[in-house]
Amino acid sequence: MYEKILIANDGSDGAAKALAVAIKMAHRPKVKLDMVCVEEMPYAPATIDEVVEERLEENHRFEKVIEHARLQARAAHVKFETHVVAGHAVPSIIEFIERGGFDLLVIGYMGHSAIYNRLIGSTTDRLVELAPCHVLVVK
Amino acid sequence: MENVWLVSAVWLGLALLASVISIRVAMSVALVEIMVGAVAGNTIGLNLTEWVNFLAGFGAILLTFLAGTEIDSRVVRKHFWSSMSIGVVGFVAPYLGVLLYARYGIGWSWPQAQIAGISLSTTSVAVVYAVMVETGFNKSEMGKIILAACFINDLGTVLALGIVFAHFDYWLALFGAVTAAALWMLPRFAPWFFTKVGHRVSEPETKFISLVLLGLGGLASVAGSEAVLPAYLVGMALAPAFLADPELPHRMRIIAFTILTPFYFLKAGSLVDFQAVIASAGLIAVFLAIKMATKFVGILPLTKAFQFEAREGMYTTLLMSTGLTFGTISALFGLTNHIIDQQQYTILVTAVIGSALVPTLIAQRWFQPTFKPIEDDIGPATPSKEEA
Repeated sequence: MYEKILIANDGSDGAAKALAVAIKMAHRPKVKLDMVCVEEMPYAPATIDEVVEERLEENHRFEKVIEHARLQARAAHVKFETHVVAGHAVPSIIEFIERGGFDLLVIGYMGHSAIYNRLIGSTTDRLVELAPCHVLVVK
Repeated sequence: MENVWLVSAVWLGLALLASVISIRVAMSVALVEIMVGAVAGNTIGLNLTEWVNFLAGFGAILLTFLAGTEIDSRVVRKHFWSSMSIGVVGFVAPYLGVLLYARYGIGWSWPQAQIAGISLSTTSVAVVYAVMVETGFNKSEMGKIILAACFINDLGTVLALGIVFAHFDYWLALFGAVTAAALWMLPRFAPWFFTKVGHRVSEPETKFISLVLLGLGGLASVAGSEAVLPAYLVGMALAPAFLADPELPHRMRIIAFTILTPFYFLKAGSLVDFQAVIASAGLIAVFLAIKMATKFVGILPLTKAFQFEAREGMYTTLLMSTGLTFGTISALFGLTNHIIDQQQYTILVTAVIGSALVPTLIAQRWFQPTFKPIEDDIGPATPSKEEA
C-alpha cells in the first residue's frame, strides 16, 4: 500500500477532515506522513512589503494549523513531517509531490457554488487532474 | 454641487471591494484596484475631482518613495557591475525599442513615443521579488543581482520621466540643486530627527517625509519635471535608515495603502477605455511583445556574459520584462499633461498590466531553474521537523 503520504493542508475544515483520515492511513509501520501548507503569494504585487506581509500573515495562520496537526500525529504515533512552501497552491503542491516522490495525496473537499466552479474551478479539481500520484479527496 | 462625502464613499467602497477581491484571489491589491477602477470608469463613471487628483498624485509619490526605500545599497555595491549593466540595458533596450516602434512604426509624435518608451521600460521589483521568494532565489547571489538590477532599471525609468519633459531653465537648475542638497542632508538629518521625535501617534516622521516629498515634488512640477523623480531619489537616500527601522516604512505603507494609493490605482484604471482595449488589442499585444523582445535582446547576452546558466538567463530576462507601478505612473503622467490621449493611455496601461502577468507566467511555467529549496525559513511556522 502507500508508504509516502502527503496531506495538503490549507487550514480549512475540509483539510482538517483530510488530516484525520491521512493520520489513520499512516498508522502503519514504514509509512511516513508529510503535511504541506502553501503560503499563497500575491500575483503582481506593487511593493516588496506587500509580499513580506502576505507571507507573515500566512505564517501566522499556519502556526496553529501545524501545531494542531503535530499533536494529532504524535497522539497517533505517526511518523510526521511538516513543510511550508511559498507559491500558488496547485503548482506548488504538484511540484512538491514530484520532488518528494509521494505515492498518495490526501486533500479535503471544499464546496463552492456552481458558478464559482464553472468560472474559476476548484483547487481540488485541479489537484485531482494534475497530481502525478493517487489522490484521495475527503468529504 | 458635488457631495464630497458621497463621492468619497464611492471611491473608498471601490477600494474596499478591491481589497476583498485581492485577498480572495491572492492577487496584488494594486492590480485589482486598476481593474475595479477600469470597470467602474466604464460603467458608473468615476468623478475625478481636484481632491481625488491630489490624493491619487500623493499616492503615486508615496508609492515611488517607498519603492526607493526598498533598495539595499549594500547589494548594489557588492554586485555593482553585473547589476548596473543588466539594469541599465534592461531600461535602455525596451525604451529605445518601444520609442522607435511608436514613432516610426505607428506614427506617434516624439513626446508620445517617449511616454510609450518610458512606460514600457520598467521592471516590477515587487513582482520579481515575489517570484524569487517562491523559487528560493531571493537567498541566492543570482537573485540578489537580479533584484539590484531591477532597482537600477526603475531608476532609469524615473530619471527619464523626470528629465525628458523638463524645461531646461533656471527652475530646473534650482530643482536640481535643492534635490542634491536634500539627498546629501537627509541621510544625516533624518535618522537623528527620527530618534529625537520617536514613534508617536501624531506621526512626526511621516509628516517630515511628506513635507520633503511635497516640497521637492512642487519644485519638480515648476521645472516641468515629475514629482516621482525626487520621491524615488529621496527613498534611495533614506533606504539605510528605513532598513534599520522597518517599523516606520510599515506605518507609512499602511497610511499610503489605506487612503492614498487606492485613489491612484482606481484613477489609473478608470481612465482605461474598454472600447479602445478592444479596438487596439493587436497593438497592445505588439507593445507587450516589443517590451519582452527588447528585454531579451538586451539582457539575455549579459546573463551569458555573467555566466548565468541558460535556463537562469531566460528566467532572469523574463522576470525583468515585468512591470506595473512605474509603467502606469509614466502613462498617467503622459495623459495628465496632455502628451498622449485616452486611447494611447489605454493601450500603454493595458500593455503594462499584461507585462505584470505574462512574463511571470511564462517564466514559471517553462523556465523555472532547477534550483529550488523546498523549505522556506521565514517566521516561526515554517519548520521541517520530523516527529514520531
